Amino acid sequence: MLEVKNLTKKFQSGDSTVTAVNGISFSVPDGQFASIVGRSGSGKSTLLSLLGALDKPTDGSIVVGDQDVTAMGDHQLIAYRGKSIGFVFQNYNLVPSLTALENVMLPMEFAKVPKAERIERATKLLEEVGLENDQIQRNPGRLSGGQQQRVAIARALANRPKLILADEPTGNLDTATGKMIFDLLHSLSRKENTTIVVVTHDLEIAGKTDKTFKLNDGKLVKK
Amino acid sequence: MNPVSRGVRNAFRNSVRTGSIVLILGLSIGLSLTMLVAQKAVDTKIKNVKSSIGNTIDIAPAGFNPGSQANNALTTTALGGISSLAHIKSVSETLTDRQSTTGSSSPSFGRFGGGDSSSSTTTSLSSPVTLNASGPGRFFAGGGGSDGTTTFSLPVSFLGTNDPSDVSGTSITLATGSTISGATDTNNALISSAMASKNNLSVGSTFSAYNATLTVAGIFGDSNQGTQNTVVLSLPALQRLSGQTGVVTSAVATVDSLDNLSSATTAIKNKLGSTADVTSAQEQADNTVKPLNSVRTVATFSLIGAVVAGAVIILLVMIMVVRERKREIGVVKAIGGSNLRIMSEFMVESLTLAVLGAVVGLFIGVVGGQPVTKMLVDNSTTTAAQTAQMPGQGGRMFSFQGSNSADRPARMGGFGQRFRTNGTVKSISNIKAQIGWGILLDGFGAAVVIAMLGSALSAGMISRVRPSTVMRAD
Repeated sequence: MLEVKNLTKKFQSGDSTVTAVNGISFSVPDGQFASIVGRSGSGKSTLLSLLGALDKPTDGSIVVGDQDVTAMGDHQLIAYRGKSIGFVFQNYNLVPSLTALENVMLPMEFAKVPKAERIERATKLLEEVGLENDQIQRNPGRLSGGQQQRVAIARALANRPKLILADEPTGNLDTATGKMIFDLLHSLSRKENTTIVVVTHDLEIAGKTDKTFKLNDGKLVKK
Repeated sequence: MNPVSRGVRNAFRNSVRTGSIVLILGLSIGLSLTMLVAQKAVDTKIKNVKSSIGNTIDIAPAGFNPGSQANNALTTTALGGISSLAHIKSVSETLTDRQSTTGSSSPSFGRFGGGDSSSSTTTSLSSPVTLNASGPGRFFAGGGGSDGTTTFSLPVSFLGTNDPSDVSGTSITLATGSTISGATDTNNALISSAMASKNNLSVGSTFSAYNATLTVAGIFGDSNQGTQNTVVLSLPALQRLSGQTGVVTSAVATVDSLDNLSSATTAIKNKLGSTADVTSAQEQADNTVKPLNSVRTVATFSLIGAVVAGAVIILLVMIMVVRERKREIGVVKAIGGSNLRIMSEFMVESLTLAVLGAVVGLFIGVVGGQPVTKMLVDNSTTTAAQTAQMPGQGGRMFSFQGSNSADRPARMGGFGQRFRTNGTVKSISNIKAQIGWGILLDGFGAAVVIAMLGSALSAGMISRVRPSTVMRAD
């Protein structure tokens, strides 16, 4: 269960204070697929950063399972991000010097998973997302956008996280590939029983998720 | 893949950039090593020069000019008080003079006290030293006939000394006969084996000089042309024969310990006042190594400069790399990578570049060490030699050129320490740079230091990269 209570994030911008996220509260049960929609600048990405423990809230709390993320120290947050959260970015953000297989193995290496187990799980995940055998040893530069996003999804699932956060995962893909990626994310989350929160502009995609939250000026206007 | 292998791999992400960085770093480290080699070679030479310092003090007439007929003289009487000074073990006094050979025009040399008795007499001896118009070992001389060389025959040096075991700073060993007493006024003489051979002389033979008949008491082996052409007499004998009673050309005082060299030098200076130039071996050594010290300073500053340049190169490169990979760093942090882990990757990358630069640098250091050291020392000692040249000789003075005794001071006829300078300069120019394991290790050590210094700031930048900033940039 992802539970957000009265979450607020304020930024200092010159002399004024900008409230990017303003007292948001919501919850997503385990294994559910939720989407956050809203216009550009509505606070979607900031909310995702807070949920992924990439940034600290000004006020409020985030509880994932039985862990209060907002009460964690820096070292705990690093471990938490590595083991409990999976990220999928719009621009894939794979490490260009590593192969697809090594990219998927990377979070497991940070979580100190033994090498043999890393190779086995990464290979299996890449097969599940539909990468061919010869593609898993390629560097990201030699893969298409859709293939790179599949690798990013496999990487997000590597440590069997409780929560996957996806920021516009289909934003850089054509419609057909975007739909394929969304379906893949959906089916894998069901299979791994992972909670997924996806930020999207695409209302069609948002309509297929279990829950949709709409943000406007940092406030939750629809659950 | 661990941080080490990832760091090494990252160093080769852009082969053109890596090649350029390695080349520039190589030049920097190569220059550092070259300067280190030069510094160590100079250090060794300075140490050798200083370790060879004798506990002697040279005493010569003040402002002696070999072209002048009015030089001040030292006298046995004036020097007499020196041997009684504290810490003085002995005082070796010498008088030098020359006799032209029969049939040759007499040379014109500086004399002490204004007299010139040598111009009116000749010796029956012929010099064993042959004149050679060019090439090593030639003599230049003036004051002969009108054409300078055609009627000129090399004059013979006469050395009066109270220590006949030493000829112009060179210890002699008798081949046949017996030595003479330096204190006894007799007409007995020591000659070199070359002189004996040239004039068909043996022990007991006689020859003439100063209108007197001298007897060969002993024949010594000779190692250089200076000693070959010298006839050794006792000091009072030469003073009498040359009409320079009581006159001394130069003296060498021996001190009981190196520790007392400075105080004894001061005591002698005080005793003789302005009538003599008193120079200790310590002062000579200090003057000798002066150019080397300047080379050392240049090498030290260049070494520091090259290491700092290398560190700045790596620093700028790593800052550029961190800025370039800011998003990647953020992503790695977002998926669980710690600051320490990311920093260690960058440090390994920096170290890889520095070590590759060190390999190139070592090659440059090995190839360039000796020539650069030689060039630095040559430039420095040439300046020193120019300032140390005897002024206005115009061919009136002998000097050695191209002597094979490069490591010995070029001292001629016992005129004193002033004539040693050129030979000593040649000696310190003869410097050998060596590259041993120590220097190679220093090179790699420098590479590690450069890498660490260079990656320090980038490490700080890495720690400040926030994963959320990267996400907002998306």
